[in-house]
Amino acid sequence: MSKAGDWRNYKRVLLPPVKDLHKLDVYEANDGYSALREILTTDKWNPTSVTDEVKKSGLKGRGGAGFPTGLKWSFMPPVDPDVPRYLCCNGDESEPGTFKDRQLLEYNPHSVFEGMLIASYAMSIKTGFLYIRGEFADWITHMEAELEKAYEKGYVGKNIMGSDFSCDIVIHKGAGAYICGEESSLMNSLEGKRAYPRIKPPFPAQKGVWGYPTTINNVETPACAPLIIRNGGDWYAGIGAEAHPGPVLYGISGHVNRPGVYEYPTGMLITDLVNEVAGGMRGGKKLKAIVPGGSSTPVLRADMIDGVTMDADSLREAGSMMGTSGMLIMDEDTDMVSFLRRITHFYHHESCGQCTPCREGTGWLENILTRIDEGEGNLRDLDLLMDLCSQMEGRTVCALADAAAWPVRYTIDRFRDEFEAKCKPSLVASGVDLATA
Amino acid sequence: MADFIKNPVVGLPDRKPEPVIPADQLHFSEAEKTQIQTWISQYPSADGAVMRALWLAQEKFGFLPPEVIQLVADELGIPYTNAYGVATFYTQYFKEKKGTYVLDVCTCFSCQLCGGFDMLHYLEEKLGVHKGETTDDGVFTVQEAECLGACGSAPMLQITNGAYVHNLTKEKIDALVDALREDKMPAFTSVTLPQDEDEMGGNRRTDVESTETYQAGPVSETTR
Repeated sequence: MSKAGDWRNYKRVLLPPVKDLHKLDVYEANDGYSALREILTTDKWNPTSVTDEVKKSGLKGRGGAGFPTGLKWSFMPPVDPDVPRYLCCNGDESEPGTFKDRQLLEYNPHSVFEGMLIASYAMSIKTGFLYIRGEFADWITHMEAELEKAYEKGYVGKNIMGSDFSCDIVIHKGAGAYICGEESSLMNSLEGKRAYPRIKPPFPAQKGVWGYPTTINNVETPACAPLIIRNGGDWYAGIGAEAHPGPVLYGISGHVNRPGVYEYPTGMLITDLVNEVAGGMRGGKKLKAIVPGGSSTPVLRADMIDGVTMDADSLREAGSMMGTSGMLIMDEDTDMVSFLRRITHFYHHESCGQCTPCREGTGWLENILTRIDEGEGNLRDLDLLMDLCSQMEGRTVCALADAAAWPVRYTIDRFRDEFEAKCKPSLVASGVDLATA
Repeated sequence: MADFIKNPVVGLPDRKPEPVIPADQLHFSEAEKTQIQTWISQYPSADGAVMRALWLAQEKFGFLPPEVIQLVADELGIPYTNAYGVATFYTQYFKEKKGTYVLDVCTCFSCQLCGGFDMLHYLEEKLGVHKGETTDDGVFTVQEAECLGACGSAPMLQITNGAYVHNLTKEKIDALVDALREDKMPAFTSVTLPQDEDEMGGNRRTDVESTETYQAGPVSETTR
């Protein structure tokens, strides 16, 4: 059962159908910055009530972990005027299969700025860093121009809209490292260090960038904040799946007729997304597998997706995760072994090298899978891979090792016969003719 | 002991090789210095501006040999090792000289399944280089890139950390290579959302020269 209700008549709110919405005057004409104005100029709102409204909305982080956003905001320690606090907005979108943030940053940048300002108000923050991956150089240029206009209009900067609330937004350009999407390594990257993840605790809310209290959100998360303030938490909580509400940008790629970024409520049936939204399988092929939320979420076989909806609970029951909702659809001709080999190559390349299990483990995952893919592998290599995965999971500072191990574990688990078919027959040395031996 | 360090038995390699950027060119202009100071003022400490300053240096000098990293470190007033650590950590900072145009072909995940490797191999054959190498005339470097965040318009490539070229085909690569040989960079391309096509009849931006739609990827011939 779809939890998205009447999704065919869904009206988009994150990326509403308005021409040139990325321009400040158009954004203003479409209720832009009205949520911020309401917060700053009416008595109805104070930092606590804003946080409570976000809590009431049930908004969960859109970066992958799906942590309740209002709760995260309330983790910030009490305000101490001598201690600066920071907001970091994570636009280091590098998870393979994910391409929604780029569209959001291009088509509705002001909603991200406004959301960051609302989040900063709720947590009494004076500086927000917007970290965008370096590959998005063109988009960074566009956003800087729009941010400049917002500064000129007095929406960002000192005494916003005549209130006593001041907040700066700084766009930080990355330089190509997947690991920067991990919150603690993003902080190290901001500080001008090598982007090694940090051990938690202390959590960012206690000790974040430059040792000060910090909150980190994905860019899509604060973009929901103006909608929640304008329409109320109850309205937001009523969209999509009950336990994981809100509009979501689904990035659909792979072997479908109509890939792209789609905005729909959470709780869409995967079959609806593939067959109706994305126009069905390319060339009328049969669906083989689907990765629901970026490369590190476990792959689902075609027979596992019946009735599964795109929300945290349903996907957990089905044996996967919501992740970033960047969905990869694979047809029946896909070679799962070389698919997995390329994923492990990615994690090997992107491992930061701080922890041994990950630095060495990702390399061995790639080596062994290459061996199997080249037809030189043995059946026991599959067990070796599983053993390697257990030695990586949960044994490193950040979750990259887990993210590298899960696809290996679940792809082999769910497509074992394909891997076995590529391996050499067990207990038979290569080059031995069975008939004469 | 100290004597051993001063006069090692085995010659130690030079910590900094011969500079490749001539000393008279190795400086920032006043405008660039002001820009770097603006960036520094945005962060609680000068370290925060190191990535921006390295970007600036790379755009100016083309790549980041040790003397350029030293220049950045001096400008920011931070230790050379810190700046060097950052410059060597990130893939987009070039540590060695590259071609005028670096073609980063994405072959990761969605692109792999939608012909990314076909495009990479075609480009390698066309330019007569392997991935990671530069053509003899120094114009093109071909690289295999990790996910560039344009999975819906796979296969795709990026030109020198800048413009994206979506929905690659062999014809598109031919045209691109010809245009780049004449120093014509492709314009920024905005990719239309499928829902915008339905509801707004095309791209929502009126201020871009070039738009494209998401297209179903071609059937890949190779996946490695």
